[in-house]
Amino acid sequence: MSAIMADVSTATAAATHTHQHVTVNRPNPVSVGTIVWLASELMFFAALFAMYFTVRQVLPADEWAAQADKLNIPFSAVNTTVLVLSSVTCQMGVLAAERFQPQRKGRIWAFWSWGMHEWMALTYLMGAFFIGGQVLEYAELVHEGLTISSSPYGSVFFLTTGFHGLHVLGGLIAFLFLLGRSFAARRFGHHEATTAIVVSYYWHFVDVVWIALFFVIYILR
Amino acid sequence: MKIETRLFIAGTPLFLLAAGVYALWTANTAQGWEPVGTLCILLVGAMVFMVGFYLMLTAKRIDERPEDTEHAEIADGAGDQGVFAPWSWWPLAIAGSAALAFLGLAVGWWILGIAIPFGIIALVGWVFEFSRGQHAH
Repeated sequence: MSAIMADVSTATAAATHTHQHVTVNRPNPVSVGTIVWLASELMFFAALFAMYFTVRQVLPADEWAAQADKLNIPFSAVNTTVLVLSSVTCQMGVLAAERFQPQRKGRIWAFWSWGMHEWMALTYLMGAFFIGGQVLEYAELVHEGLTISSSPYGSVFFLTTGFHGLHVLGGLIAFLFLLGRSFAARRFGHHEATTAIVVSYYWHFVDVVWIALFFVIYILR
Repeated sequence: MKIETRLFIAGTPLFLLAAGVYALWTANTAQGWEPVGTLCILLVGAMVFMVGFYLMLTAKRIDERPEDTEHAEIADGAGDQGVFAPWSWWPLAIAGSAALAFLGLAVGWWILGIAIPFGIIALVGWVFEFSRGQHAH
């Protein structure tokens, strides 16, 4: 029995090696699955937006404004810019992964010859910058007396931006896994390229959600 | 993949319309427009569009599948369906750690301290199962 099982698993393994994630006439189930899951994530954020707008509607306008005016718009705008640009660097990483180039071909500052590792590492740093900025922003707001339990505005502000921040944090972990898979592979193949592509889907999604959040929370206020 | 694409994208105008009608309808009540329903119906429209649009892009990149042609034979669908790991225990380990973590949220935070190390081990094991041992490549 165990001999048969061993046979089965080696046969499957051999098949996956020669033909990882690519068939000409089938959609890649990993990518489609990621998109369907991200669509469900959209509904998660829909609930957060719904919560935000409901509290905004039932709260007296001056009470809302007294809290919302504490936000530091220029600081958050810089943070947002970094996050949006990180989507660009992430896409550069995907293009490198699609030409199966894990490493740079030139010097470190010759970014036009960068591979997936360099672009994704830069994306990671930019995402980490965003999280760092958000921690600073939270510290500042708590200092000014706005906490998750201080007021209804505090609750919805920290819940919406906090859940988004957790998603960015999850994305950073995903980047580590992506780089780990790529470093573990002697031959950079479809397995690693698919990972890069679906992590980028997630990253772009979280980025777009932030643009919506930024518009609603900081611009519309 | 036309049928899947249409199935999803067809929902978009429907939900956009429904969101508009809902918003206007509730705007005429004493409480004013109702944001939960309006936003969620609107974003259901975005959700189906997202899936439909992705399927449309995918359809352009791949050849026609046997399902898409009326004259296909069963045998045309033979071959790889995707990469699956029929022997893998890692998803079970991840699900177990996630269940333990949620138990922690419900019962007591200290359980989370047990769940997190298990979760990290399970996640790392699952992510790297095709990258090490006999599957190293």
